[in-house]
Amino acid sequence: MAGDWQPDFEQLIDEHQSMVFSLALRMTGDRGLAEEIAQDVFLELDRHLNKIESPLHALLWLRRVAMSRSSDALRRRRVRRIDQWVEIDEIHGAQAEERPSPLADRVERLLATVPEPQRAALVLRYQEDLTPEEIAAALGAPLATVKSHLHRGLKLLRAKAAIHLKEYVRGT
Amino acid sequence: MELEPLDNIADFERELQSALARRPAPPDLKRKIVGRLWQQASRSHRRMIWMERLAAAVILVAVAGGAAYWHHEVEKRRGEEAKQQVFTALRIANHALEQMNAQLAEHNRDAQ
Repeated sequence: MAGDWQPDFEQLIDEHQSMVFSLALRMTGDRGLAEEIAQDVFLELDRHLNKIESPLHALLWLRRVAMSRSSDALRRRRVRRIDQWVEIDEIHGAQAEERPSPLADRVERLLATVPEPQRAALVLRYQEDLTPEEIAAALGAPLATVKSHLHRGLKLLRAKAAIHLKEYVRGT
Repeated sequence: MELEPLDNIADFERELQSALARRPAPPDLKRKIVGRLWQQASRSHRRMIWMERLAAAVILVAVAGGAAYWHHEVEKRRGEEAKQQVFTALRIANHALEQMNAQLAEHNRDAQ
């Protein structure tokens, strides 16, 4: 029964740390900042643990708060695009064994150059595999706005990819 | 190896999905979160101890101040009472002296 569910804080960290960290990382492009945001989000979860009613509620809460705290951090820092590129380079250096394919690597770099609202929609769509309706709920934005961000973001990213990635080779 | 530009939207979305797969969190993230929780709890506990000490000190100062004030008031009242007693004694003595003076004057008049 959902009413009998008791949140286990450490288990929630185990289950969701990758999601929270990845959302913050994709939104900020800064591994250190993403880690800090992830810590803050889980500490905030601990303070609100008595209000969490189910595993799904925990997932939705963490996703929403991670996006919100990432936006707050970006607002404070106003990271320039070039900085994000450099920092994403560092990320890949730090986790060489986790690196995606070179093409995916470049796609991720390009994503960091997309405007923040479009990036948020794209990250939730392609990292979390959410529908536009779910993205609208997670971001607290109107559905039409989310659809527009997705459409424009994807178009922009494709245009950038056409310029920057056309020479890339996918191994055979 | 062949060159294959990304000209297909489905390919592109697939690459995007692959590029944006969740990354593993840093291995020590959980330890850091739990560590910060302990720090916060410890800070809160220390703050509580200090608040208790401060409250105890305030109560102690209030009690000591009250006792000192009460002692001062008692002493003041005793002083007032002693002063009134001295005045009463002086008034009595003065009255007695005046009577004695009057008797001496009468006695002198009789002697003359």
